[in-house]
Amino acid sequence: MKDITKLIRRFIGILLLSTVLVIVLNIVILAVISANQTANGRPYTTARETAGALQKTETGYVLSDDMADRLSRENAWAIYIDNDTLEVKWHTDNLPETIPMQYTISDIASLTRGYIDGYPTYTGEAENGLVVVGYPKDRYWKHMSPSWDYNFIKNAPYTVIIVIGVNIFLIFLIYMIANSKLLKSVKPITNGIQALPSGEPVYVREKGLLSDLAAKINQTSDILQRQKRNLQRKETARANWISGVSHDIRTPLSMVMGYAGQIEDNESLPESERKKAQIIRQQSIKMKNLINDLNLASKLEYNMQPIHPKPVNLVAVARQSVVDFINLGMEEKYPIEWNTDEALTTCVINGDKELLRRAIGDLITNAQTHNPDGCTISVCARKSDTEYKISVEDNGIGVTDEKLEQLRTTPHYMMSDSGTAEPRHGLGLLIVGQIAFAHKGTVSFDHGKHGGFSVTISFPIPKDSQ
Amino acid sequence: MDYDYLKYKKILIVDDEAELLEMVRSILEQDGFKAMKTAGTVSEALQMCKEWKPDLAILDVMLPDGNGFSLFEQIRTFTEIPILFLTARGEDEDRLRGLGLGADDYMVKPFLPKELSLRIGIILRHNYKGESPTVQLAGSQIDFDRAEVIKDHEPISLTAKEHDILLALYRNAGRIVTIDQLCEAAWGDNPYGYENSLMAHIRRIREKIETNPSKPVSLITVKGLGYKLVLAGK
Repeated sequence: MKDITKLIRRFIGILLLSTVLVIVLNIVILAVISANQTANGRPYTTARETAGALQKTETGYVLSDDMADRLSRENAWAIYIDNDTLEVKWHTDNLPETIPMQYTISDIASLTRGYIDGYPTYTGEAENGLVVVGYPKDRYWKHMSPSWDYNFIKNAPYTVIIVIGVNIFLIFLIYMIANSKLLKSVKPITNGIQALPSGEPVYVREKGLLSDLAAKINQTSDILQRQKRNLQRKETARANWISGVSHDIRTPLSMVMGYAGQIEDNESLPESERKKAQIIRQQSIKMKNLINDLNLASKLEYNMQPIHPKPVNLVAVARQSVVDFINLGMEEKYPIEWNTDEALTTCVINGDKELLRRAIGDLITNAQTHNPDGCTISVCARKSDTEYKISVEDNGIGVTDEKLEQLRTTPHYMMSDSGTAEPRHGLGLLIVGQIAFAHKGTVSFDHGKHGGFSVTISFPIPKDSQ
Repeated sequence: MDYDYLKYKKILIVDDEAELLEMVRSILEQDGFKAMKTAGTVSEALQMCKEWKPDLAILDVMLPDGNGFSLFEQIRTFTEIPILFLTARGEDEDRLRGLGLGADDYMVKPFLPKELSLRIGIILRHNYKGESPTVQLAGSQIDFDRAEVIKDHEPISLTAKEHDILLALYRNAGRIVTIDQLCEAAWGDNPYGYENSLMAHIRRIREKIETNPSKPVSLITVKGLGYKLVLAGK
């Protein structure tokens, strides 16, 4: 829609610019042409000057040489009519023969306004008479009755402006009508193109000037939809495959765990054998967790994990995760601290409580599994201007700078399209990242303040509770 | 003894895997249960429920001739015996569906043998022994049915909120219960901003149950996290 307005603006701009250019061009052309024209007042001036240059001497009337020269150059002739007798008292040598020598008053009036025998004539007042200068017949055209209504002349500037305005409006109107048809057919096309990146199916009616373009957009949309469907089908198949495998492996694993547990508890067996059974059971539990993690990670990755968003208090979730861990009874080896400001009691976001609890729980378990010799774990909820942060930190063995960099930059093998030869981190942190991402949050890794390792999940504070 | 009596309860195990049936049976046998029978299909299970009349049923969800959820519903048409789902279907929806139907418990495979027998023990106690109405603390007794505390042979009545908070603590006796869980138990969903009220209630509860309320031995504070109820002799 933005683009259409832009298009219309540009059209109007071009239109105004071209109108101004046309007007300027007209004025310039007019100026150039009229500069080459004889000025309108010139023949009258000539007549007046001729009258001035005519001298009465004792031998009769004499025209100055200079003036005579000018007249002959223009092929003009001149006569002098006496006031009293209305007779021609003097004339130039080149006077055509058809010019009368005697005039009446009405003749005088006529020649002043127009012609004598078709020759355009101009008058100049001389001493006691009238000088008439005549030009060749095709030299000037004279308007015989130059008279206009007074108001017409008075209002001329306004009239001109109105006329120009009406003209511009008319041109604009024609332009708009002509263009609106084009715009009308462009609009669905631009709408269609704009809708394409949204991933939703797009249909543009294939009609009007640009029906070919519309058809192409529809084709593109179809192709995109087909690809999206194919991709979704593949992703669903992959997630279902993982979910199926993890389902099918549960029953056999139950037997391994179950019998190993029984052997472990069988007091009639030697201690060494029971110890082996214990290891089998412990490793089975690891496999069980791994399968659960793999299944959840793949579901989160392909958006197949249903997320049930509800208002969730992050402080309560974090507190619960800490208490869950304490209630496991491992406090001697893994003392856990709750370092949250008591004034901070609620950090509510819209989220899935179980997933969030899982994420924080995973971070605590992570600290435990990476520090088999024990460590102090510290959990803390904080609030910044824009984010709620939950940090899980330990003072255990920690990670090297290289490992930290790798955690921050290298994708997990599930997400990686390169080989899986390099060692990568486990599924736990991946799932935490996915859960954070599903809640529009982020995960950051760092060294702990007291050695060890620190993970912080940050969630944006919802707009309505800022 | 009551406990031994529970070991004689009849348990029906339904699963399509013969080996798993055998293992569950051996787990329960090792734990002292005496009367177990197994079934591999829905129809077999239904027939046994009608004829053998078990006291508890362990159901798988995926069965060759139907699923455990519908089997559950069919069993419920003629008996109210406690039922535990034991299945490889670990999705939240499945768990919620099973519990939503009214199952007494839902366990996902793979499971720890001990956990299974413990959970079965709990279900049987709940259903056939009844919950102990009185709880013995260091300096008093709580009678949840009558919402009373008996201290120095004097009954002191509990308010509804105090009763709810104490019950939540008792159900997790020996474990920490978070502030948020207690608020939820007393004030329902979205119990934000009740932390101070909770502290006031805890103080009043201590006055009722503790011999010396300023030095509590039964209702312990875990700073910043929650509270823990310690039963007598534990």
